[in-house]
Amino acid sequence: MFRSYAATEGVKDEGFNPPDAGDFNLPPFIDGNTFATKPILLAFFSVTLISIFFILASRKSALVPSKLQFAGESIYGFVRNDLGRDVIGHEFMRFVPYLFTLFTFILVNNIFGIIPLIQFPTMSRVSFPYVLAAITFFVFHYIGVRRHGIIAYLKGIMFIPGVPKPAYILITPLELATYFIVRPMTLSLRLFANMFAGHLLLLVFILGGEHLLSGVIGLKVVSPFSFVVAIALTFFEFMVQCLQAYIFTLLTALYITGALADEH
Amino acid sequence: MNSPKNDENAFWTIFGYMLSGLLIWGGIGYGLDRWLDNDLFLLGGLIFGMGAALYLIWLRFGRN
Repeated sequence: MFRSYAATEGVKDEGFNPPDAGDFNLPPFIDGNTFATKPILLAFFSVTLISIFFILASRKSALVPSKLQFAGESIYGFVRNDLGRDVIGHEFMRFVPYLFTLFTFILVNNIFGIIPLIQFPTMSRVSFPYVLAAITFFVFHYIGVRRHGIIAYLKGIMFIPGVPKPAYILITPLELATYFIVRPMTLSLRLFANMFAGHLLLLVFILGGEHLLSGVIGLKVVSPFSFVVAIALTFFEFMVQCLQAYIFTLLTALYITGALADEH
Repeated sequence: MNSPKNDENAFWTIFGYMLSGLLIWGGIGYGLDRWLDNDLFLLGGLIFGMGAALYLIWLRFGRN
């Protein structure tokens, strides 16, 4: 299923090769060093970019903000008010740093998918969403255990009040599975699958258009349509990329709220 | 909490319950099938799990 990059290169000249999962398998820059790959480099680059942006935006804070300060504060304000305060409630400030880091990190790495010359969404490599979901998983369970104590917290998850006793046999496994398996799984796979599918879609139309250009005259004529669709899809992808960063952070905030709540 | 966020929460909670209903009870049914050399428990487990998930969703969202 996963062709190696070398194999893809080798068969390039026998007609059109539709893009597939092998196109996400980028080789290391340095031979044998599995850490010197584009996604890992992009992750580090995004951290540098975010840091520089927000340090510059907050360095000379003035009462009448500059454009840069305004941009930085808008993003921060959005996460703090819309995702922190509105969802978590009065003790939201403790969680804003985590939510803010999560949101900006995912957002920038997603948008890398449509930035010319970069054009690779880091989150289309599944390990990145896995790690982020694992962090969220530990954060909200840790908060729940700290707040209620481990026994009361697990009891709150397993037994919703006001249900006849035999029904717990039916429900308790589902609650446990939802909290401990399905939540981190859906969180990571939703982000991964959206980025993966989006990148593949763009590849199909861009590489397809390029290939049509090299065909006979009839194919050359339809090639521009492929590029037009690719451009339209790029804007659509931008929307999806922002939305996915938002949903990941929103659900993290909701899980934290659930862990803090008195009853589940 | 305003309503779009509530909807988002409800949507993914419901999705999660239905998924875990199928996974857990379907998985138990599959295990029983393998153990007892049968092929009815998987189907039964999936249906049972879906029913349990719907019941749980009703408990969470339908009661009030």
